[in-house]
Amino acid sequence: MGNEASYPVEMCSHFDTDELRRLSKSFKKLDLDKSGTLSVEEFLSLPELKQNPLVQRVVDIFDTDGNGEVDLQEFIRGTSQFSVKGDEEQKLRFAFSVYDIDKDGYISNGELFQVLKMMVGNNVRDWELQQLVDKTIIILDRDGDGKISFEEFSAVVRKLEIHKKLVVIV
Amino acid sequence: MLLLKICPALLTTQVHLFRGDLAFSAASHGPFRQSFSSQAFYSGTLEWSLFSLGDPLPYPDWCCRKGPSEGRGLFSRQRALAFPESSTMFLLLPFDSLIVNLLGISLTVLFTLLLVFIIVPAIFGVSFGIRKLYMKTLLKIFAWATLRMERGAKEKNHQLYKPYTNGIIAKDPTSLEEEIKEIRRSGSSKALDNTPEFELSDIFYFCRKGMETIMDDEVTKRFSAEELESWNLLSRTNYNFQYISLRLTVLWGLGVLIRYCFLLPLRIALAFTGISLLVVGTTVVGYLPNGRFKEFLSKHVHLMCYRICVRALTAIITYHDRENRPRNGGICVANHTSPIDVIILASDGYYAMVGQVHGGLMGVIQRAMVKACPHIWFERSEVKDRHLVAKRLTEHVRDKSKLPILIFPEGTCINNTSVMMFKKGSFEIGATVYPVAIKYDPQFGDAFWNSSKYGMVTYLLRMMTSWAIVCSVWYLPPMTREADEDAVQFANRVKSAIARQGGLVDLLWDGGLKREKVKDTFKEEQQKLYSKMIVGNHEDRSRS
Repeated sequence: MGNEASYPVEMCSHFDTDELRRLSKSFKKLDLDKSGTLSVEEFLSLPELKQNPLVQRVVDIFDTDGNGEVDLQEFIRGTSQFSVKGDEEQKLRFAFSVYDIDKDGYISNGELFQVLKMMVGNNVRDWELQQLVDKTIIILDRDGDGKISFEEFSAVVRKLEIHKKLVVIV
Repeated sequence: MLLLKICPALLTTQVHLFRGDLAFSAASHGPFRQSFSSQAFYSGTLEWSLFSLGDPLPYPDWCCRKGPSEGRGLFSRQRALAFPESSTMFLLLPFDSLIVNLLGISLTVLFTLLLVFIIVPAIFGVSFGIRKLYMKTLLKIFAWATLRMERGAKEKNHQLYKPYTNGIIAKDPTSLEEEIKEIRRSGSSKALDNTPEFELSDIFYFCRKGMETIMDDEVTKRFSAEELESWNLLSRTNYNFQYISLRLTVLWGLGVLIRYCFLLPLRIALAFTGISLLVVGTTVVGYLPNGRFKEFLSKHVHLMCYRICVRALTAIITYHDRENRPRNGGICVANHTSPIDVIILASDGYYAMVGQVHGGLMGVIQRAMVKACPHIWFERSEVKDRHLVAKRLTEHVRDKSKLPILIFPEGTCINNTSVMMFKKGSFEIGATVYPVAIKYDPQFGDAFWNSSKYGMVTYLLRMMTSWAIVCSVWYLPPMTREADEDAVQFANRVKSAIARQGGLVDLLWDGGLKREKVKDTFKEEQQKLYSKMIVGNHEDRSRS
């Protein structure tokens, strides 16, 4: 999970030169202050993204080196995970990392609660949400450690044919 | 410069001939002076040498300089005397007056042509068809140019990058509920019941939507000019087309020459004529007493001047369904791409304009126009007061003798690939709405005004140095607000009709997002929708 950062872009991305060029253009358009990196504010300047409750999570996943900003390499690598040519394992890992906020390889009760809270906002009461979270973990946690590991996660999600759903055709 | 060098040489020889009898006196002043004078001839300017030649008498120190005016006067008096044999001299002598004559003749010819072919037809509203011919020729040239570029790119073996106007990704327009249900359904074998629940896979929808937006969003790209699929020989639209061949570059260079040296001065002259005629004409009409004659004249003065301005931009407009043109007591709404929209619409109909009072040239035009017919100009302070604006508009509309109002409900310029949210103010008034769709053909010149990038003057110059402004105007049948819909729904209905007719994308987003940030309410709406899916409505919960 951690050694992806050392690979050069070409090995990690599934895009050909034409698609790479288009994506670089999108990157430059988003980079409003021309700093070469994208901050969360620059992402949030897109009206449709502001509408999306999970944008913070997606940006965090892109930001592999954890400096709070997304540079072009991270951008290409991140969007490449949504490519048609990406494999199922990669996409599953992406979905898993949306929940796994501290990137420790497990979805804890608190992390699941946080992500759900992002998605529902103030429309659901906290105790109701906690109920949902507890229920989900009880169902999915097979080894009984109170957390959901990647294997437990993929066991449930794999059959949903995720490779068709997490796809953006460039 | 060569001429200047030859002249002194010729002149020196002449001088020697002329002053042969004075050689004694010249020589008597010593070789220094002689050489000095010849030096002077060789090194000095044409003027200087001519001046000194103008000396009628051999002054002892004739090689010293004289003042220009003195020298010139002497020179001109003496020139016939001095060098009758020097034919090259005579070529230069009437230089000034020949140029002036030529200039005068060409200007007169130009103005006559202008008058006959452009201004007179504008007054009467007829057309010689010159612009349409021009457009056809240009299209042929563009097609040829694109073909050459494609061939050239194929030779060099790289792809000719074609920008996609509909975005670089293929989007799946499904709603939140549909998609999440579909994801859940594909996973579980049990029959789909509507019990609210949460699944780990629910995040997929948000992630995918987010990714789509990051790669290519629908909204912010409407605030910059549209990219063309083929190059139209304007360097300003050249995003991706590299140097292909000499012929193409030559063609481009020729295009630059034609546009800047021939078309631009012509257009500026026409624009100047049009605007000054408008100001003068409306002021004059304003002095007449109110009545049918004044209205008739005012209408024709307005139309005439707008038609001249249309020709000043070389705008080739096609009007469709003219029987649906707005009538008195109605409101005409249209999608907004640039300030030129006003000129385009007003050259085919007589409208009352609505707008803010400006200073400078615009202010002068506004003040003149309002003398001839009742336009609605708001002071800057009044614009913020929505009730005041609505009141004045309602008053105007109620009077059936007054002209139809022209309004652009988007409130800002959008790049003509989509129609953004219509502000509901003009739809609350309750008058008949006449929708108009305007679609520009960007191949000949992109009319979109990116006000954050260009000021008004730069924008107008860019317009006048494009090939032409080609657009289509559709007059849609009038619409009225129905009993069961409110202003917002009515506005959306009109907007959809305009978007459909013009082939534009119908967006719900507010054009004001060009300058302002998005409010958090959008996110809250999405959150509310999702929470319904996992916990159901409050009523359901209380029941169970």
